[in-house]
Amino acid sequence: MSDVAPFTPAVRLSHLGDDVKTRIFEAALRVLADVGASVQHDEAVRLLQKAGCSLDSDGLVRVPRPAVERALSSAPNAFTLYDRDGAAAMELGGHNVYFGTGSDLMWQYDPHTGEHRPSRLDDIARVARVCEALPNMDFVMSGAYPTELDPRGVYAVTFLTMMRNCTKPLVIVAESEIDLGVIIDVAADVRGGRDQLRERPYFLAYVEPVSPLSHPAESVAKLLLCADAGVPVAYVPAPLLGATSPVSSAGHVVQGMAECLLGLVLHQHRAPGAPFMFGVNQGTLDMVSGQPSYAAVEGFMNYLTVVEMAKWLGLPNWGISGCTDSQAIDAQLGLEVGELTLLSMLLGSNLNHDVGFMGFGLTGALEEIVITDEFVSMNKKLLSGIPVQDEDLAVNVIAEVGPKGHYLRHPHTRRYLRKGPGQWRPRLLNRDNRDRWVECGGLDLREKARRKVQAILESEGPPTLDPVLLALAEERVAALKASPKVGSPS
Amino acid sequence: MSTTRHAIIEEIIEAVVEGEPEPVIAGVRRALEAGVDPETVLNDGLTAAMTSVGDMLDRGEVFIPDVLWSAEAMQEGLALLLPHLSEGASRSAGTVVLGTVQGDVHDIGKNFVGLMLSGAGFEVVDLGHDVTAEAFVEAVAEHGAGLLGMSAMLTTTMPVMSRTLQLLEARSLRSGVRVLVGGAPVTQSYADKIGADGWAIDATKAVAVAKELV
Amino acid sequence: MSLFEDLKLNVEQGKKEAVLALVAQALDQGHSAQQILQQGLIAAMDIVGAKMEQEEMFIPEVLRAAKTMEAGLEILKPLLGVGDMQVSGKVVMGTVKGDLHDIGKNLVAMLLSSAGFEVIDLGINVAPAVFAQKAEETGADFLGMSALLTTTMPMMAATIEELEKAGLRGRVRVLIGGAPVTQAYADQIGADGYASDAGAAIKVAKELGALVA
Ligand code: B12
Ligand code: B12
Repeated sequence: MSDVAPFTPAVRLSHLGDDVKTRIFEAALRVLADVGASVQHDEAVRLLQKAGCSLDSDGLVRVPRPAVERALSSAPNAFTLYDRDGAAAMELGGHNVYFGTGSDLMWQYDPHTGEHRPSRLDDIARVARVCEALPNMDFVMSGAYPTELDPRGVYAVTFLTMMRNCTKPLVIVAESEIDLGVIIDVAADVRGGRDQLRERPYFLAYVEPVSPLSHPAESVAKLLLCADAGVPVAYVPAPLLGATSPVSSAGHVVQGMAECLLGLVLHQHRAPGAPFMFGVNQGTLDMVSGQPSYAAVEGFMNYLTVVEMAKWLGLPNWGISGCTDSQAIDAQLGLEVGELTLLSMLLGSNLNHDVGFMGFGLTGALEEIVITDEFVSMNKKLLSGIPVQDEDLAVNVIAEVGPKGHYLRHPHTRRYLRKGPGQWRPRLLNRDNRDRWVECGGLDLREKARRKVQAILESEGPPTLDPVLLALAEERVAALKASPKVGSPS
Repeated sequence: MSTTRHAIIEEIIEAVVEGEPEPVIAGVRRALEAGVDPETVLNDGLTAAMTSVGDMLDRGEVFIPDVLWSAEAMQEGLALLLPHLSEGASRSAGTVVLGTVQGDVHDIGKNFVGLMLSGAGFEVVDLGHDVTAEAFVEAVAEHGAGLLGMSAMLTTTMPVMSRTLQLLEARSLRSGVRVLVGGAPVTQSYADKIGADGWAIDATKAVAVAKELV
Repeated sequence: MSLFEDLKLNVEQGKKEAVLALVAQALDQGHSAQQILQQGLIAAMDIVGAKMEQEEMFIPEVLRAAKTMEAGLEILKPLLGVGDMQVSGKVVMGTVKGDLHDIGKNLVAMLLSSAGFEVIDLGINVAPAVFAQKAEETGADFLGMSALLTTTMPMMAATIEELEKAGLRGRVRVLIGGAPVTQAYADQIGADGYASDAGAAIKVAKELGALVA
């Protein structure tokens, strides 16, 4: 069962003044109203026109300020995701911080052999199992793309696999509104109906427009379907700094916001008050290697700004954590994962995906998920703040011990440790002296993480799904695969 | 053992683990009243409890101060039990003179070792820190200590240990006392080199080594 | 510095005005267009390519150098004979059906054209039949396909089939790339070449071109 108490950092990072945030927002409004965007979906264009936007002779849609303001005022500033059993699990909004994996990695470091090999369906099951067991992973994204399967209906199969292997809320990717429709049907079966699903959403859909300023038919269709079904949706562009967005940090954010906010206008016009998640992915094209970095410091800078803008607009935000550009489970991984995780937490970024991502969003490793979990745990302590009641200031305790004494046996020490804030215990990080460490095998973090992964995989999985539901879900997915509407030849 | 007796022992164990002296005392008293063999109370109750606390520390389930409190609670129970134990069992584990060597102010580890030793039934005479070789030797003579424990945390202060050993020899006290050394820079090979009798890497091991030596 | 050294340096640094002036000067001095192309412009891009591979240049600088090289080539074109023109080949390029990723494809297209290929970019979401039709229409020597999604990779195989059906497979060399694509996959579907980045893409295209010629 999911942990309901949300984590909200007491120590926070914010670096932009109101004046700066106003300028960024105004600039995004200018892009929306003056530059416009390409919206490749007729019904969506008509809806946008009804919302006060214009379709101009150059074929671009332009969005005026009042339309954006109306959408901002109807959009909820928080919404809840529920777990498989229907219990509230994530209250997305404010400074609540949650973590989970990313989707679709096409390579994996095999957890048993360490071999770098193409991802498979059983990797998705393992990702879900590992997340289920980790207290600081709050939601699950596929973490892998099943390369051995026929691509037809693959995201519905993925959804089913996640659902079977964990009870935590899911974040999903779909190819089009067709497979998304099936995923919604399955989730509604789990809940006992469409209305129940609307009331207690089981998953959030991750939908992306194409930077710069292009809203393809499939993306828009998925967005509208989510609005209609009351399924929470993150409509989040991924502009790559200097390739599909201006190279300047502020320019990246301005364009990304304009792309996301167009989605908001459309979504809120279709279903005012429906749950919508704001965000701009922080990608950076490395201008020498040509790789899309997930951990470039410039990307981190954009991230800081985007999350602050989300808070300022009063929208729940989509964030990123637990990923690295490293190709190995090494110190670079630790460093990048640690920094990004801490940033997300300091910012109060709401839903942080991509835990377990390595090598530019192409490779996954379960060890990285376990390591990130440890970092999150540690930083939850760090950012919980320092209590300063008399008991904490402890003047009388200092007086009692006096010069040259010690606190090891003072009742205050024990009370604090047992009944008070205690002391954070690492599960993976070393706290052993050299002899003992050597005695225990001289394991480094990578090996300890690997063993923890093994232990989780060997332990009992989550409660199984009702067989009737499962059969129904499998039927729906089979029908999807057979449908002439789902594309690609095999 | 009857279930009630068994239950009393369980209560004692729990109270020691919890580090609560009153329930330990109450438990020992009830055990004696119920006619449980004092040796059983000691071995299956108090000592077993401390072993389990040590294991818990090993697994990171309790904190060091918890162990110290358990040791303290155990001592309270033991005090009550002592008069009922046979001659052999009732002896205190022995007297230890303990201190941090001259020139060294590090005393956290030494304090911890001291607390654990007294938890294990040793009589600890703590000389504090910055203790000269002479002061160590005098205290050993004065208290008739069977054990001398020295802590040094600096490479620069380690030689004081060796000097103390030489002085013990010079005063013909060396054969009557087992010498235990420790501290971050100290190793088994250093202990061997200077002719100490034992070395331990941490407080739990220190207790085990001390028990072996006496 | 010799005239050609100067020319190469200015191409590398993307100084268009200087390159135009130096090309004109070289012609004035009686160098042939063919010689200026080979020893000046193309030689410069070889250096740029090498520097890119050594990670010594930013991608936008590479692209600017390429643009500058093309500007110089514009002056030379009317003066080059059909044989001299030595365009490395005609490439029809696009991202496969169902796939909207185009950053990598654009990069490859730009660098191919700077390496002397004539590139016809069909954009994104290109159906197999469209690839085949355009390859036929333009008389392309190469077909370059990009796919960034595992789901859309099969479109590459479908396109090769389409080429075969249209009887074009013998004439058109097929080059593929994108994050999920590997040499093994290229072999499996019978593509002629694969490259993992833009620099390698040009090398492979040139090698295949040489094989054809
Ligand atoms: C806290 C500390 C201090 C405190 C001490 C406070 C106090 N009341 O004790 C202060 C700030 C005062 C201090 C000062 C200095 N310190 Co200092 N200090 C430390 C530190 C960080 C922790 C020591 C500690 O308490 N550990 C926790 C306890 C529980 O562990 P422990 O002491 O190792 O004890 C355990 C075992 O060793 C064993 N044990 C210990 N004693 C005994 C005895 C026996 C008989 C047995 C069997 C076992 C045993 O059991 C204990 C329990 O498990 C160490 C680093 C380290 N890792 O040791 C440096 C360290 C010891 N200090 C060091 C130095 C250099 C100094 C200074 C010279 C620094 C300065 N700028 O002046 C001064 C020296 C002052 C002096 N003259 O003594 C160096 C020593 C390097 C060396 N090669 O000698 C160290 C290693 C840190 C470093 N790398 O710089 N220090
Ligand atoms: C940017 C990006 C996007 C942007 C694309 C914008 C654009 N205009 O292209 C947006 C946000 C729109 C997007 C959307 C989606 N994306 Co995307 N995206 C990426 C990302 C982060 C970077 C791609 C990129 O531009 N790289 C930089 C360029 C320079 O490199 P490149 O493309 O690899 O090209 C180089 C080489 O591959 C080679 N090359 C490329 N083409 C060719 C062709 C030839 C002929 C040759 C020889 C060489 C060659 O040379 C190039 C230059 O060096 C990748 C991650 C990754 N590492 O690839 C994910 C990634 C490709 N996307 C992914 C996914 C899942 C999606 C979505 C389904 C997500 C969703 N929620 O809907 C949608 C699909 C939309 C669609 N139908 O296409 C997955 C694919 C997983 C899989 N197993 O298939 C990836 C791997 C990320 C992930 N793990 O989730 N994405």
